[in-house]
Amino acid sequence: MSPEHPRTDRSVSTRIGARDISKNYGLVQANHGVSFNVTPGQIHAVVGENGAGKSTLMRILQGLERPDSGTVILNDEPVQLRDPQQAIRLGIGMVHQEFMLAPELTLLENLVLGDEPMRTIAGPIAIVDWKKALTEARALEKRAGVAIDWNRPTATAPVHIQQYVEILRLLRRGNDVLILDEPTAVLAPQQVSKLIALLKQLRDQGASIIFISHKLHEVVALADHVTIMRRGKAVASASVDELDIAAMTRHIMGDAPADPSEQARAAVVLPDARRILRVEGLCAVTVDRSQALNNISMDVCLGEIVGIAGVAGNGQEELMECLAGLRSMSSGSISLNGAELAGKENMDFRRAGIGYVSPDRAHEGLARLASIADNVMAGSQHAPAFLKGPFRNLPAVGRAARQRLANLDVRYGALSDPVSSLSGGNQQKLVFARETASKPQVLIVSQPTRGVDLNGIAAIHAILRQHCEGGGCVVLASEELDELIALCDRILVLSEGRMVGAVRNEDATPETIGKLMLASGDGLEMAHV
Amino acid sequence: MSDHVNTDAMPADGLAAMVRRGLDGTLRFVVPIGIAFAVGAVLLLAIGENPLETYSLMLSEAFSSQRRFAATLSAATPLLFTAVATAICFRTGVFNVGVDGAFILGGLAAATFGVMLPMSIGWWIIPLSIGAAMLVAAFWLWIPGVLLARLDVDEVVSTLMLNFVALGIAGFLVNGVLLSETSGNNTTETIHSTAELSRLVPPSTLHSGFLLGLACVFAYALWSSVTPAGFEARLVGLNKRFARAVGISIPSTIIVVMVISGLVAGLGGASHALGQVHKFSDGFSAGYGFTGMAVALLARNSALGIVFGAILFGALASAGTTIQLFSDIPLDIVNVIEGTVMIFAVVELGKLTLWRKGKRP
Repeated sequence: MSPEHPRTDRSVSTRIGARDISKNYGLVQANHGVSFNVTPGQIHAVVGENGAGKSTLMRILQGLERPDSGTVILNDEPVQLRDPQQAIRLGIGMVHQEFMLAPELTLLENLVLGDEPMRTIAGPIAIVDWKKALTEARALEKRAGVAIDWNRPTATAPVHIQQYVEILRLLRRGNDVLILDEPTAVLAPQQVSKLIALLKQLRDQGASIIFISHKLHEVVALADHVTIMRRGKAVASASVDELDIAAMTRHIMGDAPADPSEQARAAVVLPDARRILRVEGLCAVTVDRSQALNNISMDVCLGEIVGIAGVAGNGQEELMECLAGLRSMSSGSISLNGAELAGKENMDFRRAGIGYVSPDRAHEGLARLASIADNVMAGSQHAPAFLKGPFRNLPAVGRAARQRLANLDVRYGALSDPVSSLSGGNQQKLVFARETASKPQVLIVSQPTRGVDLNGIAAIHAILRQHCEGGGCVVLASEELDELIALCDRILVLSEGRMVGAVRNEDATPETIGKLMLASGDGLEMAHV
Repeated sequence: MSDHVNTDAMPADGLAAMVRRGLDGTLRFVVPIGIAFAVGAVLLLAIGENPLETYSLMLSEAFSSQRRFAATLSAATPLLFTAVATAICFRTGVFNVGVDGAFILGGLAAATFGVMLPMSIGWWIIPLSIGAAMLVAAFWLWIPGVLLARLDVDEVVSTLMLNFVALGIAGFLVNGVLLSETSGNNTTETIHSTAELSRLVPPSTLHSGFLLGLACVFAYALWSSVTPAGFEARLVGLNKRFARAVGISIPSTIIVVMVISGLVAGLGGASHALGQVHKFSDGFSAGYGFTGMAVALLARNSALGIVFGAILFGALASAGTTIQLFSDIPLDIVNVIEGTVMIFAVVELGKLTLWRKGKRP
């Protein structure tokens, strides 16, 4: 296996790096004279807002893109990466946010897939040597200090185990440069600390790890060195000991104001605790690979933000889809202001006053090929204000689109521009502009700040608070515990499709919530709120 | 069908953007045609003909006199209907290839009514025949619509197969109960003269069905750009999950566009039966449904593009026939050009450019 991989050579000063790399896409300067060095046995964090140029730099390091000028450095020598295959041969491996594992195969099969150890039976006939594969797997497991049940089907393995397999697969092929793209986004806090331990162990064995993250406290906990990017440039690069979180934030944001979500939460006075959204005994069966929901009950009061927490894939998205009327439930009840909605269609939910912000902005929240105007006005095509006889009143539609976008301060060029021309934050604000336009009482909001930069996050948090102060309420599912803690009055925790606990804002810490997130759904009484 | 940005005519959004979109559309129309004629030229050279001479002969055969131009428009008439019927579905993301079958059944229904209804009802015979054709064809495409919307049956397979069923049904009937007693086989009686659509510029066969076709294109333009239903259909075509999440019913949108497509295809069949051939016989549709698909693809579902595309293919068909009569060039050259246009009409030009530069997209 893996014949030409270079073993870690501690004598070089730069295992992987970049010298003066620039890359333009049309008029957009994605990278502008970026230089950085990763030494052997170093964990190097790369941080910055969306669009700061991190992804472009990583694509260049993997040979997916060629720089316009400047070069990639490997083992102190400049190299030209022609394609990703060459990068892999030179020891550079990437762990993507979405794992590249075949769900139908076992973990062991995934580990060796594409590079199976073979055993010759007779002449040219060879078969896969599973015994040897397992031995190799055990050795890797030991090297990384983790425990894995290799014969488990991948689809049933927990997310963090799948992530280990991704990493071990790269190690097995001799990759000693690992690039991890936001590896903690899918993990619970306890799992994050395990991953950190694993990565530190690999570092001590000489691996060079590049770690892309938005979460500065993880950077501090894990990285040795940090490079901060802003607007295509590497604006700071220093040992983590020399840069505290405040200093990093300043570099990331430039002159922009600090993150307002850190401000003390304004005291939102709960109006008389009128429960408007009631969910009782909601069950939903599994379709495709979704998590079944089991007997979920919850209430939401006016003026309240209720958080839904859980390790990814434990039923949060399914619950949110049920609340938005996009997934059918097998039993139970959802009622808004006393009117039963179970068994109705999604448009009935909308008509009753429920808006929905999808976690999948690219495929469900927006129609990427449609214009900005069409995206912000979709769903309102039958409103009498936008009709003239049987026809759409296009001037009125255009005026309303501008008004909606202005209300939420969405920055755009022209209404007819494709919605994909907007930045992530502005795209998400556009989704909110559409969903809040009809003044729904309840907003079902899933992962609103995924892929949104710090300024956009602040704006979206403000929108959510404003919605509640204006007499609405929000159900918010987020993988960012900090976000839930900053915004929510109560946080409900799901595990394996069951409601396993609830925490009030005053008691909410990442630890209390994380503990509930990892609880098994079976046999747990719901904590009293 | 295409990855360029689809926009409704939004007011006051800059002349430059409109000009850019217009140029873009023109390019996407002209380039596939250019490539197709180049491929045709290679074939013509291979059989020892001069392509330039052939093409200029075709051009003059198609457009050079009033009579020839009328013949071109006459050949374009069925394509106006089938292209609109196809475009309605394509822009909704429903790959309906069953327009040909609906066109045939519509024609059969119209011809049958044109023969069977009593002459005594006078001009009423025309709207009744047309209405019957539209109902039959709409029902015909409602079937795959419901199968797709409710049972997730792939519409390409169902509509393609239903074409053969339609052909079989029509063939069976014109050799059985509807067979003419006077004129040989595989054909119905000729319709009553009161059921015939009027000729516009006799002696040419150009008939008032052409005006109906233009009206259809115009109605399609209105439907797609300024009605809520057309807007919803486009969102469904662009992104089904998005459309559903904003409260649009995907199943009913699919069924509605299939039924509208059937109505238009049936109207086309009626126009062809009552205006052009005055009866129904085997071989009623010379692949009009599929040529209409080529037109819709080339036009990228735009109404204006459909008019130009239908006239282009009408010209090819009418000039091709005359050329075959007076020279050694086979009519098949027209089919080659048509097929090549279809292939290159669906190629994304943006990708072509990238490919030429040897870059990854």
